[in-house]
Amino acid sequence: MNCIEIKDLSKSYGPVTALHRVSFDVERGEVFGLIGPDGAGKTTLYRLLCTLLLPDTGSATVDGYDVVSQMDKVRRCIGYMPGRFSLYQDLTVQENLEFFATLFGTTIDEGYDTIRAIYSQIERFRNRKAGALSGGMKQKLALSCALVHKPSVLLLDEPTTGVDPVSRKELWQMLLSLKEHGITIVASTPYLDEVRCCERVAFLDQGRLQGVGTPAHILERFASVFNPPGINHSGNGEIASDNVIEVEHLVKAFGDFHAVDDISFAVRRGEIFGFLGANGAGKTTAMHMLTGLNQPTGGTGRVAGFDIRTEHEQIKRHIGYMSQRFSLYDDLTVAENIRLFAGIYGMSDDDIERKTDELLEKLDFAAHKHHLVASLPLGWKQKLAFSVSIFHEPDIVFLDEPTGGVDPATRRQFWELIYDAAARGITVFVTTHYMDEAEYCDRISIMVDGKIKAMGTPAELKQEFNQPDMDHVFTHLARQATRSSD
Amino acid sequence: MTLKYLIQKEFLQIKRNAFLPRLIVAFPIVVMCVLPWIMNMEVKNVVVDVVDNDRTTQSQRLVHSIEASNYFIFGGLKPTYAHALHDVETSKADVVLVIPRHYSKQLAQQRVPQVLIAANAVNGTKGAMGSAYLSQIVTGSLPAPHHAAVVAQLNLYNKHQDYKLFMIPALFAIVIMLMCGFLPALNIVGEKEAGTIEQINVTPVSKWAFILAKLIPYWIIALFVITVCLLLAWGIYGITCRGSVAWVYVLVMLLALFWSSFGLIISNYSDTMQQAIFVMWFFVVSMLLLSGLFTPTRSMPQWAYLTTYVNPMHYFIDAIRTVFVRGGTWHSIAHQAGALLAIGSVMAAWAVHSYKKNS
Repeated sequence: MNCIEIKDLSKSYGPVTALHRVSFDVERGEVFGLIGPDGAGKTTLYRLLCTLLLPDTGSATVDGYDVVSQMDKVRRCIGYMPGRFSLYQDLTVQENLEFFATLFGTTIDEGYDTIRAIYSQIERFRNRKAGALSGGMKQKLALSCALVHKPSVLLLDEPTTGVDPVSRKELWQMLLSLKEHGITIVASTPYLDEVRCCERVAFLDQGRLQGVGTPAHILERFASVFNPPGINHSGNGEIASDNVIEVEHLVKAFGDFHAVDDISFAVRRGEIFGFLGANGAGKTTAMHMLTGLNQPTGGTGRVAGFDIRTEHEQIKRHIGYMSQRFSLYDDLTVAENIRLFAGIYGMSDDDIERKTDELLEKLDFAAHKHHLVASLPLGWKQKLAFSVSIFHEPDIVFLDEPTGGVDPATRRQFWELIYDAAARGITVFVTTHYMDEAEYCDRISIMVDGKIKAMGTPAELKQEFNQPDMDHVFTHLARQATRSSD
Repeated sequence: MTLKYLIQKEFLQIKRNAFLPRLIVAFPIVVMCVLPWIMNMEVKNVVVDVVDNDRTTQSQRLVHSIEASNYFIFGGLKPTYAHALHDVETSKADVVLVIPRHYSKQLAQQRVPQVLIAANAVNGTKGAMGSAYLSQIVTGSLPAPHHAAVVAQLNLYNKHQDYKLFMIPALFAIVIMLMCGFLPALNIVGEKEAGTIEQINVTPVSKWAFILAKLIPYWIIALFVITVCLLLAWGIYGITCRGSVAWVYVLVMLLALFWSSFGLIISNYSDTMQQAIFVMWFFVVSMLLLSGLFTPTRSMPQWAYLTTYVNPMHYFIDAIRTVFVRGGTWHSIAHQAGALLAIGSVMAAWAVHSYKKNS
């Protein structure tokens, strides 16, 4: 029997077609994946199914109820977890859960059976504010909140974006365990290992359904998107022997909490250095000290030859930075953003004009020169943000999770840009949660609980820990973390 | 040099905003077209009930003079004081006038009759002013010998005691406060929420350049808005600045310096819009009510009066009224302008100090 039936569903926002005549069914108790690049219409489809939007044409039923005429009944039987920000950051774990239970006229005790497996893992933090939880725990709590009223259908919109690999695996184990309760799950994800956990997947692209089938079948059929050929990195020979980042015994403490706890490492000029770690391991804090945003509590560090304590403004002249949160101005056009950042670094009007055209030509972006950044798809924004961060030819570029939430083909294009920059002698310092990207780096370090637990080339690390790939190396190390359970 | 690009960016963002350009145009128009009419301390339309226990030509004349007055609405003759009081209790009347029996007889005998004026003083101003007007009418209706010695009044500078002339310069203070205080504060917190400030903080842009680039656009907007206000005051009310317009602009810039610095300080210490707005609103209301915009500062209790020494709004309103209404020159506003500059500079230094590119 079908739990969700979608027939000829279309939705447009003004001139933009978000969904065009999409039809498919999801069986009861199935774990169904919804995949596709950013802007494919996944979120629109979710919002139609949970009755937040009305379709232009076509119809859909959820658990036998029509999403237009039986809106109230649909809302009772679904649990929806929007990508991010579905929790009240300043309420505690328990207060959040109680709030969502009350919304559906139930209590935590009544719904406890369904959420036990998930909630028991975070229950000991019940008095902690949701904003103070790590990314993985936030998602567990959000999932508990979506499940507390015992829904029959669970809609998850990219539940694991920005979550580290270990927490992702745990979250998916829980999702699969929900099958016992007969809950139908529709989840979208940019991660291939998660796609493979689904029983069937639908591939959406530009608002159109491209195919439905088993993960293996779909991934093979659209291999150009999901499984692009690996990139050959030939820049290895150009790594110089001098260090452009040198860090010794670096510490950053917030009160008693040592976010970064005595780390030492060096990065050579021209290297692509992967700076890995689970959520809350201290990566972003460390990066903030290196980029001169924060003062270290202890230890020393030099970036591009300048002291991170005293010469942070000189450091800023010699680095580029792309932050985790999207870092261009949405309300400026592509050209205006480039002009602004180039102007800040003291380039002349003529230079900016000429280099802007060159860059847009190279990125195949010239047609979008005068489009607002807000109107671009996420993957393009990221490529643009990266290009802007190296526009002034810095010595080093710092990238904080630059590829969150985009599909493998787009990520591969992004890495081509990184290799391109590295070939020009720019040192790349990058954090990521994608372990396939970790393999692209010349050298990587893995941070656990504020300390660096492993460092070396991907091959060395695999050998050292006797694991088949970086994913396993990371999981092996990150499972030793004690911080998230204190 | 960097400043050029940063200011360009601010103007582009203001232009792209769906709401701000409209606000900037609509705000001075609404303020100047509506507020001068309502910010008025004159008391009019006071409803008077009369209890006439005399019922003679003399008392009739008194009643007619109330009916004829612009300030009063005649509520009717009531048989007893109790009836009239009932009207007051049900808010139908504001003041009761009781004319005693033998009123005209006593007048004829050259004795002093006693009339009773009872006013509803819940609204203190209305009660006091109402009864004061009424006593004027009563005294005026008396035959010549009863007139008290006539006091000559000479209203200096604002001859007709026009409240519009008094209020319009003070409205400039409100306009500057909102344009230069709120908007830059919200702008910076907005960048914090969007995350773009982090991107700016890792560039070599200097603190001064970044902050000036935030302020200059709003200063220009303030000058534009004040110009519109001055033109509207002239066009709608025929009110022009008595003194030199140059001083008006100097004072406006000094107040803009204070408010924009103050807004920045708050935005530097706030993480969210909500927090920034709330803190800003608290200070805005306190400073406004303590500034002498609505009430004379001299009549405040001593401890409240002391706050006016550090309240830039007080100095501004004092000085702009001096220039605008009285036509004061530099000598008469030097003290206030000096104080504004001092407070503004301290705040500006604090604003730059509290903005941290590296913490």
